[in-house]
Amino acid sequence: MVRFKHRYLLCEVVAEDPRCRRCIDERAVTTAAKGALARAYGDYGLACCSIAFTVKYLNAYTGVVLLRCRKDFYRLLWSALPLVTHLESRGQRHPCFFHTLHVGGTIRSCQKFLIQYNRRQLVMLLNSCTNKEERESIQKSLLGCFLQEAEEEQFQSGEEEDDCAETD
Amino acid sequence: MSNAREKKRAKKMRNQPANVTLGPPAGEPRLSPAQHCNGGSRPLQPQQQADLCPETSEQYQQQKLPHPSPGPSNRKEQYFTKGQSKGERGRGRGGWQGGRRGISQEMPKFITASTFAQARAAEISAMLKAVAQKSSNSLVFQTLPRHMRRRAMSHNIKRLPRRLRETARKEAEKAVHQKKEHSKSKCRKARRRHINLVLEFNRRQKKNIWLETHIWHAKRFHMVKKWGYCLGDKPTVKSYRACYRAMAKHCLLQDLSYYCCLELKGKEEELLKVLARMCSKDAGPTFAAVPCLSGRHQGSLVLYQADRYPEDLLGPITFIWKPKVGCGLGSENRQLWIWMHPTLKQDILTELKAVFKCSEPVATCIPETVTVLPHEEEPTDETRSIGKKRKREDKEGEKAVPVKKIIGDGTRDPLKSYCWTSQNTGIVISDLTMEILRYRLVGPFSHCVLTEALSAALVQTEMADAETELNSWWVENCRKSEGLSLHLHQKDIFELLQDDEKVAQLTLEGVPVECAHSFIWDQTICKNVTESKLPEQDLNRMRSELLVPGSRLDLGPRETKIPILLVQQPGKVAGEDRPGWGSGWDIYLPKGWGMAFWIPFIYQGVRVGGLQEALKHSEYKRIPHIPDDYPDCPAGIQFAKELESNLFEKFKRRPPAKRANYVKLGTLTPFLCPWEQLTQNWEERNKTQAKSTRMSEIKRCVTEKQAPNDPQPRVGTESSHETSQMEENMETTCSQGNVITEILNEVQDLGKKDGVVASNRFIVLRSTELLKQLSAWCRPTSGRGWRGRTASRQGQKEMTEDVLLPIFKCYPRALVWVTFSLLRKGTPELHTMVCIPTKEDFLHLSEDKLFCGPEEPKHSDIFKHKIVKLKERKKKKDRGKTLESSASSSLEANAVEEQKNLVLGLWCDPLSDVTSHCSRILLGFVTRGDFSLADGCGEALGFVSLTGLLHMLSSQPEDKKGFVLLRTPGSRQYRFARLTIEV
Repeated sequence: MVRFKHRYLLCEVVAEDPRCRRCIDERAVTTAAKGALARAYGDYGLACCSIAFTVKYLNAYTGVVLLRCRKDFYRLLWSALPLVTHLESRGQRHPCFFHTLHVGGTIRSCQKFLIQYNRRQLVMLLNSCTNKEERESIQKSLLGCFLQEAEEEQFQSGEEEDDCAETD
Repeated sequence: MSNAREKKRAKKMRNQPANVTLGPPAGEPRLSPAQHCNGGSRPLQPQQQADLCPETSEQYQQQKLPHPSPGPSNRKEQYFTKGQSKGERGRGRGGWQGGRRGISQEMPKFITASTFAQARAAEISAMLKAVAQKSSNSLVFQTLPRHMRRRAMSHNIKRLPRRLRETARKEAEKAVHQKKEHSKSKCRKARRRHINLVLEFNRRQKKNIWLETHIWHAKRFHMVKKWGYCLGDKPTVKSYRACYRAMAKHCLLQDLSYYCCLELKGKEEELLKVLARMCSKDAGPTFAAVPCLSGRHQGSLVLYQADRYPEDLLGPITFIWKPKVGCGLGSENRQLWIWMHPTLKQDILTELKAVFKCSEPVATCIPETVTVLPHEEEPTDETRSIGKKRKREDKEGEKAVPVKKIIGDGTRDPLKSYCWTSQNTGIVISDLTMEILRYRLVGPFSHCVLTEALSAALVQTEMADAETELNSWWVENCRKSEGLSLHLHQKDIFELLQDDEKVAQLTLEGVPVECAHSFIWDQTICKNVTESKLPEQDLNRMRSELLVPGSRLDLGPRETKIPILLVQQPGKVAGEDRPGWGSGWDIYLPKGWGMAFWIPFIYQGVRVGGLQEALKHSEYKRIPHIPDDYPDCPAGIQFAKELESNLFEKFKRRPPAKRANYVKLGTLTPFLCPWEQLTQNWEERNKTQAKSTRMSEIKRCVTEKQAPNDPQPRVGTESSHETSQMEENMETTCSQGNVITEILNEVQDLGKKDGVVASNRFIVLRSTELLKQLSAWCRPTSGRGWRGRTASRQGQKEMTEDVLLPIFKCYPRALVWVTFSLLRKGTPELHTMVCIPTKEDFLHLSEDKLFCGPEEPKHSDIFKHKIVKLKERKKKKDRGKTLESSASSSLEANAVEEQKNLVLGLWCDPLSDVTSHCSRILLGFVTRGDFSLADGCGEALGFVSLTGLLHMLSSQPEDKKGFVLLRTPGSRQYRFARLTIEV
């Protein structure tokens, strides 16, 4: 089997202003990235990278964005991303920058990385906690996500069995 | 994108996390209210948190795994939300905006660690889910990298890495579950044991009757289940040409045992009197034909419902009378066999019962039928000693009776009687289906095969075994002097067949009547012979005990004598070329002896054909095949319906882009022949034409009276007279013409009677006289072979208005069976259209040597835009469904229902005028067409409208009489063909 190989860039949108998070949506991210590409590499670079360029996943709360690009040209995109200075959406501009966390060959590997990364973040948060309530809440969420994991496993298996029943 | 693909994608994406964005206009709807109320206090209140926490998790849950509810709905929901998000890209997801939008419009002033942690936690869980779930369709061990693969991993879970074992186990269970449960209770050896094999065979022929040669055929033929039988369709080996050669030059064998036989017993007068109502002299010789009545010949005719001659066809049959024993009185008890195709049996049987008033199966008949039951059992002790059925007998105790192979009809209900008696006339009708086997040998070598394979029974006067009644009937017969002499006579005649010259002599003189006698007519003898058949096993054992292996086994007096009946098939009778083509012998055997005769025939080197070969045989003989070519009988109508649905299914199986657009080709009905429509349209055409011609005729009469000196006196006189005077004129012409007019008048009367009923049904013309007349008219009067035909043309009438008018009147909706042979290129197919060529075509044909035929101009597809519109509407409706779930207007749905039967490339149901749809006027259809190996050109058989044919003939030039154009449904090219009617 021959397939198109991609690279996935897992980025974090870092902004001072929390309002920026509002404008993290697919279109804004795409235009910002493409604009940066055009500025850095001109039409050629833009065209190269826009083959199969998509925003695969984004989370406005955590500011995580997953971008896809062809493997041949991901360097262009990668090097252009730091040039993004702001996100624009609905006429509002919010200064921010992209922090690339991980470059992966599959979505799956990016997801795996993201899990690790988030966990680390949570642990860091826990360490740097100042008051008790916060600490509790963070601990709770940390535990919760692990607990959920266990629950989900069960859940999945249930679902799978359902699937079996369907396909048969 | 097709639905299935979308579904697949939806399934694949089910576990992938969806995008999470904030609500567009008002900042963070979720977080703000609490914070705002808080008035800037840093820590979150626990209750708010509680409020918040389930919210986030719930949102995540909702996207990824809605509920553990039943799968399909679950997935659909997912799919739709996906689609929606796609559609509203950039505006954020609806779910997130929720009802909260109105509550607060303000921005958060700060961010707390806990919300941050919440978001992280939610994301982690989403990602975990996505990662943990495998998304591909492959099995677990297939996803492993190559260096971790191990042999036998697919069924030995322990070879997998431990982390994958759980999923692999589930998959393995699933696979096992999927596998079909193959219940092989017994081992192969047990299954192949003879008794179990027979049991299994008996079970399998409960639904569809097996012929006795079934096993033989099933190994070599494509079998089809048809008409309640399992029949060989065509050989699996390539043998199209070989079978033709066998038919034409060697010998082709066919098992026709599936043909049904009805036996009528009773007084000859009574039988004839009643049967005469069901057939007509007009359509050929009837039951009372002299050579047939004596039992010397087999006759064939077409049965109609009683007293309904030109309409309500029942079907074609062959019949054979049992020859008279001695020259007794005229009205003795006679026996008549009527052989028919299984599709026609029910209709004919019910009609016969009604005509003879044999409604009740009379009690006296029942014992007889019970003895004829298929489950006959041989003396048990004998079979037990050989069969060695140890376990079975132990197990089943009282059911120790050895299983007997089903001989005859396996589907028969043993309690039902197959014999009906008439109360007042004493006529007995019995159903002998599968009681008598029938093989057909076709081809010039069939004599040789018969004489080589069969030998006349030796005269035997001593009983072989006192206890068994083996051959007792034969011994009895041989003791009688007259029986002996008859047998010797028959033997002599049979041996004559070996020599070709003597065969010729035989055909000149004919077989004497007394030789047509056979013991097969006697039920008891047949039964005796069937029951006393030596088992194959015994025979084989005796063969193996022979001193010289392979030498002939001589059973001496124990050899069974089997009564058979040989019937000569005439071959091609009608037409001028290939007289007697495909003649041969039919051999009738008592049941149970099928394979015993079949194998010797095979060893004589015959080729065996199936249904397809039978079809070809009838095609080369140019006779209609049963039941395909009898469109006016119920079986034929049924067949046409099935054929249509089959062809339509086949058409629909092609991808739409690869289908032929029959609308553009100008083919109204590619899958069926609309006979009713055709005849109706021609009738209307005729009426309108008659009106216009009547006007012109009046004018012409006036002019003719003024000019009495005609170049063609006869034509002139006839045409100038009135219709009433015509008959007188006819008497002066000739005898044959006279007969025709008489018949015409008779039928005219009939037509008048039926005219009130106004039957919409079409009929097929089978009146021999009229057909002869027509065939004479069809021939071109100049050209090759004309001189030879002049003799036959002597007695024929000219085609004039006066002769045609009564024909039009009494056969307004009739079809004629015609044959076509193509002039140049072209191979006709099923449902090829027969059209009338125009004058320009003839002109072109005579000018250009290479002119193949005109071309039909391209038609425009008037249904295309409708279909496109329909599609659009459907699409819209689908979209509407996604938006507003189910509430769609019922009106629209109705409209869709109406046009659902629109298929691109086919005409929708109400057909326009079939005759004038194309550039050439339609005359009829071909029901059977192929390249003829006998003539080396395309040949076709089919029906044309009688009215149309007469119109065409009257307008064509003398030397181009009977020229038509053929066009296959899948092409626009017309081909020239010559039409002939063979009588």
